[in-house]
Amino acid sequence: MRVSFDWLKDFVKVAATPEAVAEKLTMLGLEIEALERIDGDVVLEVNVTPNRPDCLSIMGIARELSAAYGIPLAFPDLNVVSESKELDFNVEILEADLCRRYAGRIVHNLKVGPSPDWMKKRLEKCGIRSINNVVDITNYVLLEFGHPLHAFDLSTIRGHLIRVGTPKVTTGQSNMKFTTLDGSEREVSGETLLIWDAERPIAIAGVMGGSDTEVTEKTVDIFIESAYFEPTSIRRTSKTLGLKTEASYRFERGTDLKALKKALDRAAMLMHEVAGGTLYGKIDIYPKRFYPKQINVRYERIGRLLGVKLSEQEVLDCLQGLGLEIFECNSEGFKVKVPPYRGDIAMEADIIEEVARLYGYDRIPAELPKARLGVDSRKEIVSAREIRHDIRESLLKCGFDEAINLSFMGAYELDLLSIPAEDARRKLVQVRNPLREEDAYMRTTLVPALIRNLIHNLAHGNRELRLFEMAKAFIDIDHNSLPEEKERIAALYYREKTKTLYKDDTPDFFVVKGIGDAMFEGIGISGHSYVRSDEPFLHPGRSANIMIGGSKAGFIGELSPAVIEALDIKAQKPSVIVMEMDLGAIISLSKRDAIYKQLPKYPFVERDTAIIVDARLQAAEIIGHLKDHASGIVEDVSIFDIYQGGNIGVGKKSIAFNVRYRSPEKTLTDQEVEDTHKVLVDYILEKTGGQVRI
Amino acid sequence: MSENLKRTFLDEVSSLKSLADAANLRVKYLGKKGIITAKIKSLSSLSPEERRVAGREINELKQFIEEECERKESLLKSAELKGRLLAEAIDITLPGKAVSFGHEHPLSRTLREVVDIFTRMGFDVQEGPEVELDCYNFEALNIPKDHPARDMQDTFYISEDIVLRTHTSPVQVRVMEKKKPPLRFIAPGKVYRCDADVTHSPMFHQVEGLMVDKDITFSHLKGVLIAFIHQMFGPDIPVRFRPSYFPFTEPSAEIDMGCILCKSAGCRVCKGTGWLEILGAGMVNPKVLENVGYDSEEYTGFAFGMGIERITLLKYSIDDIRLLFENDIRFLRQF
Ligand SMILES: [Zn+2]
Repeated sequence: MRVSFDWLKDFVKVAATPEAVAEKLTMLGLEIEALERIDGDVVLEVNVTPNRPDCLSIMGIARELSAAYGIPLAFPDLNVVSESKELDFNVEILEADLCRRYAGRIVHNLKVGPSPDWMKKRLEKCGIRSINNVVDITNYVLLEFGHPLHAFDLSTIRGHLIRVGTPKVTTGQSNMKFTTLDGSEREVSGETLLIWDAERPIAIAGVMGGSDTEVTEKTVDIFIESAYFEPTSIRRTSKTLGLKTEASYRFERGTDLKALKKALDRAAMLMHEVAGGTLYGKIDIYPKRFYPKQINVRYERIGRLLGVKLSEQEVLDCLQGLGLEIFECNSEGFKVKVPPYRGDIAMEADIIEEVARLYGYDRIPAELPKARLGVDSRKEIVSAREIRHDIRESLLKCGFDEAINLSFMGAYELDLLSIPAEDARRKLVQVRNPLREEDAYMRTTLVPALIRNLIHNLAHGNRELRLFEMAKAFIDIDHNSLPEEKERIAALYYREKTKTLYKDDTPDFFVVKGIGDAMFEGIGISGHSYVRSDEPFLHPGRSANIMIGGSKAGFIGELSPAVIEALDIKAQKPSVIVMEMDLGAIISLSKRDAIYKQLPKYPFVERDTAIIVDARLQAAEIIGHLKDHASGIVEDVSIFDIYQGGNIGVGKKSIAFNVRYRSPEKTLTDQEVEDTHKVLVDYILEKTGGQVRI
Repeated sequence: MSENLKRTFLDEVSSLKSLADAANLRVKYLGKKGIITAKIKSLSSLSPEERRVAGREINELKQFIEEECERKESLLKSAELKGRLLAEAIDITLPGKAVSFGHEHPLSRTLREVVDIFTRMGFDVQEGPEVELDCYNFEALNIPKDHPARDMQDTFYISEDIVLRTHTSPVQVRVMEKKKPPLRFIAPGKVYRCDADVTHSPMFHQVEGLMVDKDITFSHLKGVLIAFIHQMFGPDIPVRFRPSYFPFTEPSAEIDMGCILCKSAGCRVCKGTGWLEILGAGMVNPKVLENVGYDSEEYTGFAFGMGIERITLLKYSIDDIRLLFENDIRFLRQF
């Protein structure tokens, strides 16, 4: 809200500079966001929190200053002299729950025209465009008192009657069309509170008037409305119509049930002074009266909540000037009657806030609390956090940069990855009001985001990417309950061949696989294995599912050429490795309790052998056989060479492996090792149908 | 005669160039058929008296030659090693084989720092769902439907009753429902608001904290948050508390710290005020305590919350929040 400093001074004669006043207001909870000098005046941009609709007015802000500085509030003189003619005009409130009070005045014979300069300037400084004197006066009073008014052209109101009600109650209609004064025809629901004359609706209550009854330059007689509309009803209407006005903004926050009469009188006086109208008596229908809330306040409670002991006098001084009626004071506390403009005050804590606010938050001493020692979190939660941390650390150490992406994705991204309809990743949680269509769903996999990151980086000439992300995926269960939130970890690796000083020819797949294995080792997972993956977006020959304890924990592999092509990735080398795993599963399987094994006492002996086998035979199979064969002295086996071509036959390959023998009881003799190795090799040959390469 | 021999030997020794030559020289004088060996053998033809004199002389000579050979050999050896090492020299100015560590995302880094400070102060860490029931995100926190306070947080809706949490406060409610005071924890995590520009992202990170016990006061809230700001930004940073509004706290406060960019002198970032808003906080609204079944007469508490993105932007002078989510490695590798 924009507030003219000059205007403020009409109501509170502060001597302080605008800067000092701005500082004061900020420290009272009315944050001044900007200070602007216009025409020798200063305009304060006040950020009014939604609980303080009373401060959406010059008067409200003046009241705060009056309380803070202890300067009395000057109220404008409201002696309205009106012709005491009998009013030939009726108001009927059909739904008092939605309209607790409706008042109005008739002004005859006014001259619609431009407003005087002083009024125009004040309005403009506060950000309101001058239209004509009648409309300007309603706006002027709106700014001054915070109470929205509406002026109708009296001649257009049919049947000398105003009715307040929803279409449902007034005419039984469930919805209808209505043209507002901005010229748009709007669909209005049966629950919308409207203002009607004897025949038809003439305004959307508290939001906007109708075009048929608008004040024009031809208007001579007007009816000024000043009413109290129920905040939630106005808010609903404003939201449904997508129509937010100065009036609706204030009504939905709550207006002053009592001051609406003063606002009406103020407007009437100005109509007379500025537009030369003759005032007639007023009408005021007030079916649901205002009864002030009464709140008990205890001194002891103030001290207990704020942590500072204030004297009775200090407390009462703080509340002085806010317009609160204090009564039944004793040494324990007092009672407060809350004025109608402070709908935000409803309980003791609210009064304590007022005390703290006026006393000054900065005067309350800071103190560290004394607390009992203790640990609340369960051990599993703490260790899960540690495992997550270790996983992050291992990927960081392996050169992966950490990515953080928004949790959204588009359904088309699953199409690009050819994710089938029955896949769990298609159980989408849809956002009803996304900012962009691409962000319409919560992501069910982290891969699309990493691919977006790849595309972005390639477009900016970044040719070597190692990214990982740890985040949640969201799997819909049914539309009525919360989705399953699954922690995932994903990584993407892409590296173009560049001219480098030191050569490393490790294929990308194995680089990432090695890093994954290191990660597993770091968190005590060892029994995992790799089987061919059927992920539709991966190269079928260069991808694997990662199996832990018999179930799929994730996958690793090269993006399939089809995906690369569909995404139009302009890369020198089409090999992009992606990996994604179920982090929750990994955490639950992690075993980090180490038990020391005695260091070996006797030396080891190694033997290397190369065998020629069918080219399709997988390394894991040979390793498996080697490990199966229980000789009691095999300590470790590893493959150190794979060779195809040359004198190895077509469809065959040579696999060279190394076996390390060691006995825990003695130094092995060459003969023992020789014998054992021969048995082992024979066993492998039998199992694989291979032959020893000579 | 032996003097001549000695001189000849010394000439030969001084002209030695390699260890192999030295070995040859040693053989020439001391080998089985060497000059000295021959001389020793020839002693037997002398009279005992002559043999005694000549024997001592020849033995001295032998010892001299041996010592000289050794000395020379050792010299040659170190010269030769020196030569070899020189030949083996590499260009130590060539770059090392690149081993690059990955870079922690700046948001993770800030988040970790914040969490560390509070855990050092004895706060626990709690988590909760990101897709949340309206009743936990709003109603239990004293934000009913059709309340203007909902405008403070533009909300993404999944259904009528399910939202993307707009703050991590629902975690507070979920924890309080399960546990009785005393409570002291923070809730870090992702939150969502329907808003996007240079300083707002539809997804961002928050850390909220809660402490509930008997006799927890506004003074304590100030004590804890000032301690946090001083740990996070430096012990001399000025801090101010000003009244504000949050439906779930009463009294509520916003906390400003002196602008770290201009040292409170006033700049573009702090809009000339010298202050930066850094935290929201307050005493837990009695209605929120009652909603979870606590006796608000017996227990009081404070709650606070902060945006990790905002702190990160300020800390690293980043001028566009979108950079945080593009994952451009030229950006990530700066941290
Ligand atoms: Zn600054």
